[in-house]
Amino acid sequence: MALSVRAGRAALAVWLLLPLVPLVLWAAADRWAAPAVLPQAWGTAGLRDAVAAGAGPASVRSTVLGLVVAALATPLGAMAGRALAGSGVPARGAVLGALLSPLVLPPFAVALGLDVLLLRLRVPSSVGVVLLLTVAALPYTTVLMRTAYAAHDPGFEEEARTLGATARRAVLAVQLPMLAPALAGAAFLAFLVGWSDYVVTLLVGGGQLVTLPLLVASAASSVGNEAQVAVLSLGSVLPPLALLVAVGLLGRRR
Amino acid sequence: MPTGRRRSIAAGAALLALAGCAAPAAEAPVAADRPWDDVLAEADGQTVDLWMYGGEEAGSAYVDDVLAPAAAELGVTLRRVPVSDTGDALDRVLSERQAGVTDGEVDLVWVNGENYAAGRQAGAWLCDWALDLPNRQYTDPDDPLLSSDFGVPVEGCESPWHKAQFTLVYDSARVPEPPTTMAGVLDWAQANPGRFTYPAPPDFTGSVFVRQVLTSVVGGPGEVPVEFSQEAYDEYAPALFDRLAALRPALWRGGDTYPQSQQELDRLFADGEVDMTMTYGPATLADLVADGTFPETTRVLTLEEGTFGNASFLALPSTSGDSAGAQVVADLALSPEQQAAKADPGTWGQFTVLDLGLLEEADRAAFEALPASPVVPPYEELSENAQPELSADWVSPLDEGWRRSVLAP
Repeated sequence: MALSVRAGRAALAVWLLLPLVPLVLWAAADRWAAPAVLPQAWGTAGLRDAVAAGAGPASVRSTVLGLVVAALATPLGAMAGRALAGSGVPARGAVLGALLSPLVLPPFAVALGLDVLLLRLRVPSSVGVVLLLTVAALPYTTVLMRTAYAAHDPGFEEEARTLGATARRAVLAVQLPMLAPALAGAAFLAFLVGWSDYVVTLLVGGGQLVTLPLLVASAASSVGNEAQVAVLSLGSVLPPLALLVAVGLLGRRR
Repeated sequence: MPTGRRRSIAAGAALLALAGCAAPAAEAPVAADRPWDDVLAEADGQTVDLWMYGGEEAGSAYVDDVLAPAAAELGVTLRRVPVSDTGDALDRVLSERQAGVTDGEVDLVWVNGENYAAGRQAGAWLCDWALDLPNRQYTDPDDPLLSSDFGVPVEGCESPWHKAQFTLVYDSARVPEPPTTMAGVLDWAQANPGRFTYPAPPDFTGSVFVRQVLTSVVGGPGEVPVEFSQEAYDEYAPALFDRLAALRPALWRGGDTYPQSQQELDRLFADGEVDMTMTYGPATLADLVADGTFPETTRVLTLEEGTFGNASFLALPSTSGDSAGAQVVADLALSPEQQAAKADPGTWGQFTVLDLGLLEEADRAAFEALPASPVVPPYEELSENAQPELSADWVSPLDEGWRRSVLAP
């Protein structure tokens, strides 16, 4: 039993890491032409080009965007998830459907349609980006938190209340720690939405917010700078991967 | 430059559906007629956002390291917004126009062909400014490449930036005796199965290749009218599709699959899977050879009958709030110093739009001092017998016809 679990975990690690191998090779390749199995010349040209293209400030912008979206979408998703897990919401299916609708609509059409509305309302472009991406992240946080609340036993908080805790304290000291793994998972997904978006950031943001996905897309649309694209892609993939491991460890500790 | 016509159309539909209102008047707004000194004064302190295809590292470096510092000396901050598709910039401008914005986030766009035509139809571009730029005196007023952009009149709605020439490229180590005409290229491909292919239209380059073959199979340049008409299409297109269908089994992988983009074809060429590639921007070849992506034996294949040529432009969105700054940047980009710097293969290597005969002696000398490339012949040689592009209205029917008759008959 333990052996098969370990084998499964190893298989998962290989599954996740294998696609990164060519990326890592490309990132360190100054020259790699077929049919060579390995790069003919190693170097840091890709890194240099990526830095010259503005990878540094772009990752900062991506991080801030991801964090802001996570900070907004996680509590909103928790509230919506909690309400939907209970029985107090009328027409629950319809409400859930409305919350999930961003998953169904093509993001390109949504971005373009709402772009005009936001421009008409004179909403600053960075606020518009955060607003739209938060809405796009809500389905993930809501569904995750709804499941967590459905499995959550409110008895623990009632226990705390009978022992004299205020309602606020019961939530902060009892409910939140118990739901922390789910909250971390929801925040991770919301962060990913902000971190990896292209269409909304470019069109609604009006090009003012040059994030990593914008650099990756424009660099990848050409030939001859595979090393730079590889470095930029690794820069986009590794932070979420590290976060995923962190969230996983947090979940296992409990 | 990749185009985003289909997406722009989808965008228009989405706009109408979601915003629930009619499209704004399509007639292009015009710039105020005023002395250049007033434009310069207003531009001082403005920030100009130039949206451009970001796939060309050399182009991005030129704008950041050469053009932007020169603009700063004129008091204009030039900011480059990299996009993967020029259609993204047009989509944003159309949204802004729909919303009635007058201080939009796009001030200049590197554009030509279909994106220009689509924007022109929607009134996305400011007009009546590009012919008044002071440095415009150095261009030839009768140059057909500058007066028409894929059959759509330019009329001062965009300012020329550089010229391009459709070019076939081959590896001289593998093709010791290259063909000299397009018909010869097709025969060569047939005689060497698996060593040739072209990007599937509607890829920009694949689409040009198909038009070039069209010109060849109907008997040469000038046979096909530049303006599109259904009669002309019905008369000329069948011979084209017959020829390409006959060629198909001899293509790379038996024509079962085509590269989806010029970039993919370039990779096949770089990896030695095919012996020829093609580009509308031969200026980038020197760089690709220098950094080892393409073999040192890469050479340009010039065709006796000539190839399509065009110019790309800087267009100024009608929604721009910094249009004075944008005009100053467009004028700067047209100056002999900037054109010569950009033409240097070590910088970007793009062909100038200026008429060297109209330049002062010292300026002309700067162009004559440019180093010769072992890979790319000078523009005069490349553009010999250059053919003007067919109208943009030809593009979609030919791409669609290719899909139905050649790809999936």
